[in-house]
Amino acid sequence: MIPIPHSGPTPARLLLTAAALALSAAAPALAQDAGLLAKACGDCHTAAADGSLSRISGQRKTPEGWLMTIVRMRQSHGADIDRATEAELVRHLADTQGLAPSEAAPYRYALEKDPNAIEGFDEPLGTMCARCHTGARVLLQHRTPEEWRTLIDFHVGQFPTIEYQALGRDREWYKIASTEVTDYLAAGQPLETEAWTAWQAADKPAVAGDWVVLTTLPDAGQAYGRLTVTGDASPYQVAGSLTLADGSNRPVTGQMNLYTGYEWRATLDIGGQSYRQVLALDGAGGIDGRQFLVAQDSLGGRLTGVRADAGARVLGTVPEAVAGLSGAVQVVGAGLDGLTVAGATAEGLQANDFGATVTLGAEAQGLATLSAGDSSVGVALYTAPDRLTVEPEFTIARVGGGSDNGPAAVPAHFSAVGWLNGPDGAAGTEDDIRIGSLSAEWSTSDANETAAMMQDAAYAGTLDPNGLFTPAVAGPNAERPFSTNNAGDLTITAKAGGLEASGRLIVTVQRFIDPPLR
Amino acid sequence: MKPLNQKADRVLKAAAEDKMDEVRAMQTVTAGCATTFDPGWEVDPFGSVAALCQPMEADLYGCSDPCWWPAQVPDTMVVHPDWDANATSAARDWRALGSVFPGDSNT
Repeated sequence: MIPIPHSGPTPARLLLTAAALALSAAAPALAQDAGLLAKACGDCHTAAADGSLSRISGQRKTPEGWLMTIVRMRQSHGADIDRATEAELVRHLADTQGLAPSEAAPYRYALEKDPNAIEGFDEPLGTMCARCHTGARVLLQHRTPEEWRTLIDFHVGQFPTIEYQALGRDREWYKIASTEVTDYLAAGQPLETEAWTAWQAADKPAVAGDWVVLTTLPDAGQAYGRLTVTGDASPYQVAGSLTLADGSNRPVTGQMNLYTGYEWRATLDIGGQSYRQVLALDGAGGIDGRQFLVAQDSLGGRLTGVRADAGARVLGTVPEAVAGLSGAVQVVGAGLDGLTVAGATAEGLQANDFGATVTLGAEAQGLATLSAGDSSVGVALYTAPDRLTVEPEFTIARVGGGSDNGPAAVPAHFSAVGWLNGPDGAAGTEDDIRIGSLSAEWSTSDANETAAMMQDAAYAGTLDPNGLFTPAVAGPNAERPFSTNNAGDLTITAKAGGLEASGRLIVTVQRFIDPPLR
Repeated sequence: MKPLNQKADRVLKAAAEDKMDEVRAMQTVTAGCATTFDPGWEVDPFGSVAALCQPMEADLYGCSDPCWWPAQVPDTMVVHPDWDANATSAARDWRALGSVFPGDSNT
């Protein structure tokens, strides 16, 4: 269950506060670049005496949120906004009416397009908003009470059947939406917050310079390297290279836009493949987020990084764990001259451009803790895992392709993760030690009796030796009963070291609306 | 009335315990999927796919026209009236049905 930030002043008091502050706070920022907004948006959005524009001034959102709004203005209202102007508007609006880092933090999974995130919202949000789209799409916005109220009416006008769908027709939907839900959002997501006021006044972290990064590439596993950011404004230039576990290198080049002083959005060529980075600067010299393929955003991995000059910070090791009880690892991070190691012996510590190399050793299986500054990471030394899990435990893939116009298939990537039982010798307890991804033998099977009757595993797609599931083609399949689609309900099984584990995969139909925030 | 599956059994128990307010017609799916099953877009009432309307192309327009899954499928009633202009029959012309968010708009 994802906790929804909802504390502080009572709804009634906040309603008044937010309403009173709404226009006054937005006005100075808009005044700085009033020409841009007025020219692009002023034909429809009326200006108040202080320069604020109707509707626009009462909202704050992420770069993706503003982009989606502008695209909707083009598609639904014929706004004549070219791509260059669109980019300028997104930059301006995200910078002046964005979210503070702490406001976006709980919902970054949606910005990152994490394919395995599962939401669970309490009422009234769950059945009102999150039944059609992510709750994050809502909670990555802050609005005046009037703007939250208008958003309800917008939904009724835009989607007229909203009141007779399930959870619409079976209750007083409009009354609940326009009172209970509006009050809830106005109280929890007000336009004006202390966090946003403080962030606007704060010194923003520097982005130009050298960054040491650690990530995983969907086709190659762990990768680490240095990225150099140059320039003094967006788009910044990014160049560098990533080193794989086998020592080979992939060159990196591309551009990065920095929004709101901390939202890092890069489009990079990495070894001939086009990647996106959706990261956040943490203000202490670090970056964190997700990197994924542009063409297949379900494939990617977490990326962490630290400024090379930020001081001591350890990000992780390559390889993730030491197979056998002794071996060398690349410790990825910055300022690792003083790296300390507990739980294992450490020999030959040698600093390099990506952190340091060190040889770890132990007499028995266990966990080594590598520390630098305030940061630390755990590294397992093992001979044989005690148990195996499949990650993710549950996810979806989508059929696709088969045409020039239709959405591409959405693959799913599974990992077989090894574990040690830890000092207590019991599986599934807090002291279990995560080893990391292991090579495994992969297979699919029908998840239940109905799936077996429909032969889902035979039709829904294929699983390769690296745990990558590629869904079958879209469209009706005349070979299947009722010409049903190549959908399926599958069990994904991994076997490694005499152990076995499984996850579940729903292969379903394509989505025809795929915005940056789903 | 006899429950046919575990979910129906739980609904009956909730009614007996006066907890019907806690019963939600929702599925647990990955973020961004439609979670109601009226019918669902990604999953059926049982959290699987066998009871989806399939092939979905067979009656796609019966549901896309009245914007049944407005976040997953373009509705031709209000927002995307021309989405199916080149696909008179979804079952036959499904290859002409594209994604509506512009690929060259990005942050």
